[in-house]
Amino acid sequence: MAVRIGMMSFAHMHAYSYAHCVKMLESEGRAQLVGVADHDPERGKQAAQQYDTRFFESYEDLLDAGVDAVIVCPENVRHRPLTEMAAQAGKHVLCEKPLATSKADGRAMIEACKAHSVQLMTAFPCRFSPSYIRLKQMVQAGELGEVLAIRGTNRGRNPGGWFIVPELSGGGAVIDHTVHVTDLCRDLLGSEVVEVYAEISNGFCHGDFDDTGMLTLTFANDVFATLDSSWSRPKVFPTWGDVTLQVVGTKGLAYMDMFAQNSTLYDDREMRITLQHWGSNIDYGLVSAFVESVATGKPVPITGEDGLAAAEVAFAAYESAKRGEPVRLPLPE
Amino acid sequence: MLRVGVVGVGTMGRTHAAAYTRLPNAQLVGFYDMATEAAQRTASQFGVKAFDSYGALLQEVDIVDICTPTPTHLELVVKAAEAGKHILCEKPLGRTLQQCEQMIEAASKAGVTLMPAQVLRFFPEFKQARDLVLAGAVGTPVAIRTRRGGPYPRAANDWYADFEQSGGPILDMVIHDFDWLRWTFGEAERVFAKALTFKGLDHIDYALITLRLRSGAIAHVEANWADPGGFKVDFEIAGDAGMIAFDSRHATPLTVAKQDAGGGGGGVAVPESPLAEDPYFLEIQHFVDSVAAGQPPSITAEDGMKAVEIALAAIESVQTGKVVRLGGGA
Repeated sequence: MAVRIGMMSFAHMHAYSYAHCVKMLESEGRAQLVGVADHDPERGKQAAQQYDTRFFESYEDLLDAGVDAVIVCPENVRHRPLTEMAAQAGKHVLCEKPLATSKADGRAMIEACKAHSVQLMTAFPCRFSPSYIRLKQMVQAGELGEVLAIRGTNRGRNPGGWFIVPELSGGGAVIDHTVHVTDLCRDLLGSEVVEVYAEISNGFCHGDFDDTGMLTLTFANDVFATLDSSWSRPKVFPTWGDVTLQVVGTKGLAYMDMFAQNSTLYDDREMRITLQHWGSNIDYGLVSAFVESVATGKPVPITGEDGLAAAEVAFAAYESAKRGEPVRLPLPE
Repeated sequence: MLRVGVVGVGTMGRTHAAAYTRLPNAQLVGFYDMATEAAQRTASQFGVKAFDSYGALLQEVDIVDICTPTPTHLELVVKAAEAGKHILCEKPLGRTLQQCEQMIEAASKAGVTLMPAQVLRFFPEFKQARDLVLAGAVGTPVAIRTRRGGPYPRAANDWYADFEQSGGPILDMVIHDFDWLRWTFGEAERVFAKALTFKGLDHIDYALITLRLRSGAIAHVEANWADPGGFKVDFEIAGDAGMIAFDSRHATPLTVAKQDAGGGGGGVAVPESPLAEDPYFLEIQHFVDSVAAGQPPSITAEDGMKAVEIALAAIESVQTGKVVRLGGGA
């Protein structure tokens, strides 16, 4: 039976890709896109039209329309209220990252979903990258020996809009780009971050938000990692950014450049050179896994706890930059 | 004509020696090395003398070029200075800041030139990047990343593996990047670093170092002695108006793969990056020309010490787990 899905807001651009993936699953008979609601009705109506589905005037109306699950993609600070609303209505939730902008919000979301016996999954599509899956297989098979250190990057460009309004986003580049690689490291190592040091600046955009983050993470198993979460890609950079992991082990070194499967387009009309990605669609893996968990009742592969643990590293990074010293985790509840 | 003696006949000593033989205003006189057989072999290859003692070498030269393990620099430099010789000393200048200070003092007192061999300043990709940065090509630099390294280095007596001698990859290798960062972006304010150096691993070392510069820019330095896949260097300078990126893996105008590499099966493709003038030659040329003209070289002994200071601060951060602030900085 097809899982009936509603989209709660398109404020985050990833919602478009997720909706597209739901439509792909619809064509496979595994899901159905029931409709869209958005606190920005114009945006919501346009998205509903784009994906050939219904627009609902309110989130309540969407939740009343017989959906099994929702995909929550509003501005970061609205993750909590929309997730709580969906949980109370008994709907499973796939929530965009970062899960929350504070530990209290994240904890409340997890508790709400638990209280109403619905599943909460955090949208970390990088876990579904075939390159990452292969890397994880090699690490787990011991091909690199014992993992000792990781160098990660998740760089991009300033997305603008609400992403640079800290009241809506919870920060800037650090909250935006810390969580993906942190989640991959946690997953790869099976160990939690116990200390965070961060150098943060606003040097690229000179705004009231951070655009540069250089984090150093220490894990409970003594592995250390650095993570560059900066919006440092120039406007003319040929692609949006990157997700990279270099894993140093006792028996070898592996380097993953997740989005390196591209051809180069030299476009005279646009006077631009761009990378045309032809690698696998990792968002499809994410949405497909969520739909499968909803359909079968099996636990989601990436939980709310995973989302909160990764977000907590970003919170700790801000705290570290403020204090000018490393910060121990877990942070106080 | 400046007469030159080279101390130490490892890879760097031989590289430097070859450069002197090509200069019109220098004459390679000979070598000294505690390993007398190696010294004799190298000397005969170059058609020059192998000296029995350092003192004997000092009597016949104007310039001493020191290419020996780091902790030996102090004594060799001080003796050369006292003998009135000009000195090119391999990096890192000293194993400790105190050693660096003593060397600087000895050279200053004797009125001789002491130049640390921070050869990266003569690598065209690094010099060009600096020129571009100073010309404002990326606007204000904000986030800088460097990577350097490859397999664990092997040398006489395995001295790189002795931290007390080499200081590991932070002091021995990425001192190059620390010097280039200072030269290009100005002084560092604080450093935080993690490394494998003190984990008791067998011939694996690796460090990730984050610097906050006084300019406000953030620099991330990778020191890698854990990559069996070959030596690699890259850098990226992202500023508020553009970015410069270099990766040695992509700067290979010539690649050769042989059908039979001697191992029976097919060979591995070997990339090359040939240059008309190699950076080591340019470095030696600058040093000799400076001495000949009686001018201070563009790299001072203080520069060598400042780079050591950053490296030692990074090592201290690894050992203490704390942020280390530099040189009475803000």
